[in-house]
Amino acid sequence: MEEDEFIGEKTFQRYCAEFIKHSQQIGDSWEWRPSKDCSDGYMCKIHFQIKNGSVMSHLGASTHGQTCLPMEEAFELPLDDCEVIETAAASEVIKYEYHVLYSCSYQVPVLYFRASFLDGRPLTLKDIWEGVHECYKTRLLQGPWDTITQQEHPILGQPFFVLHPCKTNEFMTPVLKNSQKINKNVNYITSWLSIVGPVVGLNLPLSYAKATSQDERNVN
Amino acid sequence: MAEESQSVLQLPPSSAAGGEGLTDVSPETTTPEPPSSAAVSPGTEEPAGDTKKKIDILLKAVGDTPIMKTKKWAVERTRTIQGLIDFIKKFLKLVASEQLFIYVNQSFAPSPDQEVGTLYECFGSDGKLVLHYCKSQAWG
Repeated sequence: MEEDEFIGEKTFQRYCAEFIKHSQQIGDSWEWRPSKDCSDGYMCKIHFQIKNGSVMSHLGASTHGQTCLPMEEAFELPLDDCEVIETAAASEVIKYEYHVLYSCSYQVPVLYFRASFLDGRPLTLKDIWEGVHECYKTRLLQGPWDTITQQEHPILGQPFFVLHPCKTNEFMTPVLKNSQKINKNVNYITSWLSIVGPVVGLNLPLSYAKATSQDERNVN
Repeated sequence: MAEESQSVLQLPPSSAAGGEGLTDVSPETTTPEPPSSAAVSPGTEEPAGDTKKKIDILLKAVGDTPIMKTKKWAVERTRTIQGLIDFIKKFLKLVASEQLFIYVNQSFAPSPDQEVGTLYECFGSDGKLVLHYCKSQAWG
């Protein structure tokens, strides 16, 4: 049995910093938010989606690695002038938030997420689940995680849905061990998020995979 | 595949999901009886190239995942990752409670609806795309 791979909090923050650096390069809008005393923090991403299923602009979720304009810019336009809003008049816009925090007890990253309508009404887990693509539903039902639970966000103190981290090591360890065999520098956060993200509607552009290789050549 | 319609997403134990594991959920995926699907064919008789419909994929096992006897496959460019996952699961005769992940660059899992042709353009070298695959248990 392989020894489990854990990461310490400093390592977590370092991986997040590298991840965000690439995010900024491709306009994927991930941010680091420090806690009030700045001793720790988390990564955060917000994107907007129309509830009828078609995606107006999928921040960072384009599977072809295209860079999209941040949705916030579109929403700054007056409604009358916005063609996109016109076609979406009968639908509702949903704001998705994804937070990546560090779990001291499990020593792995944890994905917190929530969704709400623009007027602040939160979506239930059932609503979110219905917005997940069919093939991801299969993965969610079969993947190596057993529950999505609702918990209080450790830093914000607000209710979020959480993909439980207890199995994270089990699916991360084989991949990391395999990469280490050839001395490949793997960004744990990138790898982990590429696996768990699609389960909750979050897709990473392919360029993140290439960023890891580039970092190898620019060793800090 | 029956959709779960619970208000709280308590995922069913793996035994409950057992019967539905191999349902074809991707519209692009035919349900191949391995390895006779025309979209995925073994061998190296088709040279890979920019104008060819199929690309060469080399599949490598990670961890204690079973190794496929045939590792090199010619795959249509439009085949999605999810389609490839379904194919490998059937080929390896994985049970429904086991999930399979595919990685490029040994560490990054592309989205299930990503086309292999695109992955080949980004990560292919020496005329082939190397993909690692890893089995995971679903625990109840």
